[in-house]
Amino acid sequence: MARRSTLFRVMPLVLLLGLLAISAQMGAQATASGKPAELFVPNEIHNDVVIRGGTLLTVTHGRIENGSIYIHNGKIAAIGKTVQAPANATVIDATGRWVMPGIIDSHSHIALDNDVNEATSPITPHMMMRDAFDYNDKGIYRALAGGVTTSLLLHGSANMIGGQAIVIKHKHGLRKDDLLFPGAPQSIKFASGENPKRVYGGRNQLPATRMGNFEIMRQSFTEAREYMRDWDDYNAKVAKGDKDPKVPKKDLKLEALADILRGKLLVQIHCYRADEFLTEMALAKEFGYKIRAFHHAVEAYKVADKIAANGIAVATWPDWWGFKQEAWDGIPWNAAISLRKGVRVAIKSDSEDVTRRLNTEAGKVMHYGNVSEDDALKMITLNAAWIIGVEDRVGSLDVGKDADIGIWNNYPLGSNALADQVLIDGEVFFDRTRPGLGLTHYKEGQ
Amino acid sequence: MLNKFVYGLILVAGALALPALAQKPQKPKTAAAEPASGTIALRGGKLLTISHGVIENGVLVMQNGKITAIGGASTAIPHDAKVIDVTGMTVYPGLIDSETHLGLTEISAEQSTNDMLEASDEIMPHMHVYDAFHAETALIPVARINGITNAIVAPAIGDTLPGQDSFIQLAGRSSEEMLLVRDIAMPLNFTGRQRRNETFQTSKYPSTRMGMATQLRQAFLDAQDYDQKMAAYEKKKASGDEKDKAAPPPKRDLKLEALLPYLHGQKPVILAAEEANDLLTALSLANEFHLKVVLNHLAHSGSLLDKIAATGLPVIVGPIYEQPKESERYDAVFKLPAELARRGVKIAFASYDAHQVRNLPYAAGYATAFGLPHDEALKALTLNPAEIWGVSDKLGSLDTGKQANVVVANGDPLDVRTDVKHVFIGGEEIPLVNKQTQLRDQYWQ
Repeated sequence: MARRSTLFRVMPLVLLLGLLAISAQMGAQATASGKPAELFVPNEIHNDVVIRGGTLLTVTHGRIENGSIYIHNGKIAAIGKTVQAPANATVIDATGRWVMPGIIDSHSHIALDNDVNEATSPITPHMMMRDAFDYNDKGIYRALAGGVTTSLLLHGSANMIGGQAIVIKHKHGLRKDDLLFPGAPQSIKFASGENPKRVYGGRNQLPATRMGNFEIMRQSFTEAREYMRDWDDYNAKVAKGDKDPKVPKKDLKLEALADILRGKLLVQIHCYRADEFLTEMALAKEFGYKIRAFHHAVEAYKVADKIAANGIAVATWPDWWGFKQEAWDGIPWNAAISLRKGVRVAIKSDSEDVTRRLNTEAGKVMHYGNVSEDDALKMITLNAAWIIGVEDRVGSLDVGKDADIGIWNNYPLGSNALADQVLIDGEVFFDRTRPGLGLTHYKEGQ
Repeated sequence: MLNKFVYGLILVAGALALPALAQKPQKPKTAAAEPASGTIALRGGKLLTISHGVIENGVLVMQNGKITAIGGASTAIPHDAKVIDVTGMTVYPGLIDSETHLGLTEISAEQSTNDMLEASDEIMPHMHVYDAFHAETALIPVARINGITNAIVAPAIGDTLPGQDSFIQLAGRSSEEMLLVRDIAMPLNFTGRQRRNETFQTSKYPSTRMGMATQLRQAFLDAQDYDQKMAAYEKKKASGDEKDKAAPPPKRDLKLEALLPYLHGQKPVILAAEEANDLLTALSLANEFHLKVVLNHLAHSGSLLDKIAATGLPVIVGPIYEQPKESERYDAVFKLPAELARRGVKIAFASYDAHQVRNLPYAAGYATAFGLPHDEALKALTLNPAEIWGVSDKLGSLDTGKQANVVVANGDPLDVRTDVKHVFIGGEEIPLVNKQTQLRDQYWQ
């Protein structure tokens, strides 16, 4: 950061990262990408690829020692001890190495040039992340080099409703549209607690309290219901043959809120405290929408049974705590306790640093609470995919899924593993043995 | 590994202990500065001595707070020793974190709990972290159950001269027992983050690196001047001349006085720079005043590796998680410890944190992925920092006569999956409990 307030100087990195999401206007995080990348098609693109000889961590059906994967047209076509593949398929020899699905980060703010908070109003469901997405950002590359192939790019937590997110594949070097995960459901970011309190309370505006937090939500959804009723009335009149009904005004904000109530959006909620999960669940019940996941959720372990009963997932860090009051009761056993009480748990980064080493973060969960290898892997693959709504497409080594695959030189959940190659849709996008940045689809702007 | 059964036992034990606790406050069991009386022997473990290789199936004896014997399976165990079977476990010296803010913060965002920086001025060498060190912080028990037994406590990086560090042990009945060496070193920060340049409206001197360097130079010159004045006065006082003897003493200046041990080269200045240009500026300033230097941070000084090695100065590393520059390869910062060690530089890891001090060994482990040899990584958490901080006669390796700061774990100390099973500080076993384990046990079922 080029500029820091005195406040920032005295804060450790972990807090800075926490605040990053609510400090758009304090700005100056250097993620500008410089010259645009040039598209080129590498020679090694083939329809058919075989990965041979590695230990496969399938996530859904255990390990396959000395296994093989046949990739056809970007999808996993076969997986097992041996696979049938055409003779001319490109072969990647993974002997002595580890093969796992591409890592999925269910909470990231990279590639947005800090445009994560339209912190001028607490309810901004109509802010579209796609409009801010900087597809050339090197953060996409650095995460890719850490084995990440898919990320959910979310708004910050300044607002109660921040806006609508995007899901990307880390195809660094391609064009903007090529990075957007095709057909991924639309997620929307909610937040409650200290961050909205600090941003708006600091300006002596509503909401300065959690009371304000949730009352604003009720007001907004109440307005959205009236908006929906107006449109329902209009549509009913048209259906009855009324030739000249009064057309209600199209309002992007209310339309977005209505989409939440219509169940069109996956609701991703930033909140920390046990009581907030309960309040959020009650609010969702009151207005009839579903919550997909609680993010951060450092106190999930206190009410994990209730979260599980509502079918809500948790996206958390393995061990962050104490950087603010609402994170004071964070414990590294949060993921393990939530898991054993039936919650679908993901480990996410919320950090341009941690997203590069989510493999070690999942490894910590094996340490704290004796979580099994498959469950730890799920936290950075399949469960994260579920949160994003793409669990049928990615997140495990299964036939029919996208061939998003990391090949690692050591056991990937340990401290000393590096991603050697990372494939997305069957193509190698990162290969650390290549000179320069190790990228296959990116050339420094010329 | 803790399994469900063990957790069940913990919970039952906790429930049984609860009424007793309510009646009789438990005597806190912590390490003491005075020697512990009980003799403990660890038998059957893989001993990572650091100083003399690995001993498989070894024996380590702790008595009166010190390591009294270490060797193979045949090593004699005193008959009165409490023997702990650590077969299959790894035994290693307590880890040393070479820069933390332990005891200076509780909840980062709550300013009332922070004592990390006097930001009102940039030249604050007379700030002593021991005056703020909060021995009862909840953060220390969180850090030490992962095997961190000693640490440097430093003020935050926001001033060029924010104050003086202390060296602590992460156990003790009071701050006096935990503060092993007060004013052990002085950070000199030159990373650009010390500029007072928030906005044009609010910026004040020094708002540039020029200002920072000039202000530092002036401070050291003032201290030299003060030193001379004081020396002249002492000389006069010692002289036979009655008139000289009666001369009034110069006015004492605590700020300038604080700089003198560093100007005299008695203690090290911990010089933090990130960019190559900052490192060169700060080093020339340090050379100008003949300061004894330990380098710190250096995240973006990759172009100067040979030059850094040529200085022969030790380097505190650890911010390997900082982002590389836009033009740099993804691993440019990750591999710094490996590149420095390969050139023969003595390195020591730091977490630069308070809440996540427990993750110190994992940074070293991650550095091994990028080429740092495993034994060098371990040394950079133990013997190297002990040498840098001048405590290698007491700490940093498993050797007879050293303080018994010993950790037992079920695997590689650097791996995220490894579980620490025993921590001894000064020969006393530290209960593996803290605020977080209490919450775990409360909510596990």
